[in-house]
Amino acid sequence: MAFPTLEPTSRTFDSGDYPVKKYQAQNGAEVRILYGSNRTNMKLSLSYANISDSNAELFLDHYDEMKGTYDTFDVASVNQNDRAKAGWEGNTDALGAGISGARYRYEGPPQVSQVRPGISTVTVNLVGVL
Amino acid sequence: MAKIYSGRDGVMQLGGVTLAKVVNFAFQSSLETLETTTLGESVRSYSPGVLGYSGNASLLYYKDDAGSINTTNLLNKLIKTGTDGVSSSDTVELTFRWVDGTDNNDIKLTAYITSASMGASTGDIVRADISFVATGALSAATIS
Repeated sequence: MAFPTLEPTSRTFDSGDYPVKKYQAQNGAEVRILYGSNRTNMKLSLSYANISDSNAELFLDHYDEMKGTYDTFDVASVNQNDRAKAGWEGNTDALGAGISGARYRYEGPPQVSQVRPGISTVTVNLVGVL
Repeated sequence: MAKIYSGRDGVMQLGGVTLAKVVNFAFQSSLETLETTTLGESVRSYSPGVLGYSGNASLLYYKDDAGSINTTNLLNKLIKTGTDGVSSSDTVELTFRWVDGTDNNDIKLTAYITSASMGASTGDIVRADISFVATGALSAATIS
């Protein structure tokens, strides 16, 4: 089962960082060692406000299929039409994790808030891992 | 027969009994809208949310020949002694009616009185102003 193809109503993206270890001497000088060539730990938060409960359930089903936070999957990758990057007019690889060879997994369970009968708001938080 | 309604045609009832000396009343319905605009859209879209009713009324503070005060059963929902406050049984059955001969156009609801105010000022008649918010669905809506 692929990630649900719904357009989010809001989205935040944190581009993560390369694996860098920093050491600081007593005089304040800093030494940084780069331990890898792939950026990781990007954070993608997607909110779907006031969607039908049947659409909200798609996220719960997908979370279950991914065995919670265990499995990884692609979202907002190049040429992927999952609509997660709807409204973004920059490069198509900017919001995905694939450019660094990473994939997304759930950072935690989808948050579902019931708004009224049949209508819910869902927020999913994803983290990019190698 | 065509008719223009005026304030003379308005009636406010409490528990099916017409209240005396009502100066004005207002009834309002409002629909909460849930925004469904997504990131790729440039025009806002909405889904219907929860419907609600509220309003207010102003009555002259009036004692009839029998000694009964017309606002008693409205004001005593909020203005009372004791420490119990307002309970779920402190609702009122309100009817707002526009009369055309024998033809009644009604809005009937169950409501909580949410504010009540009174005062006195030199050279002015004492009024009681109340606001209400309906709980549950309308029990009658024959205004169309």
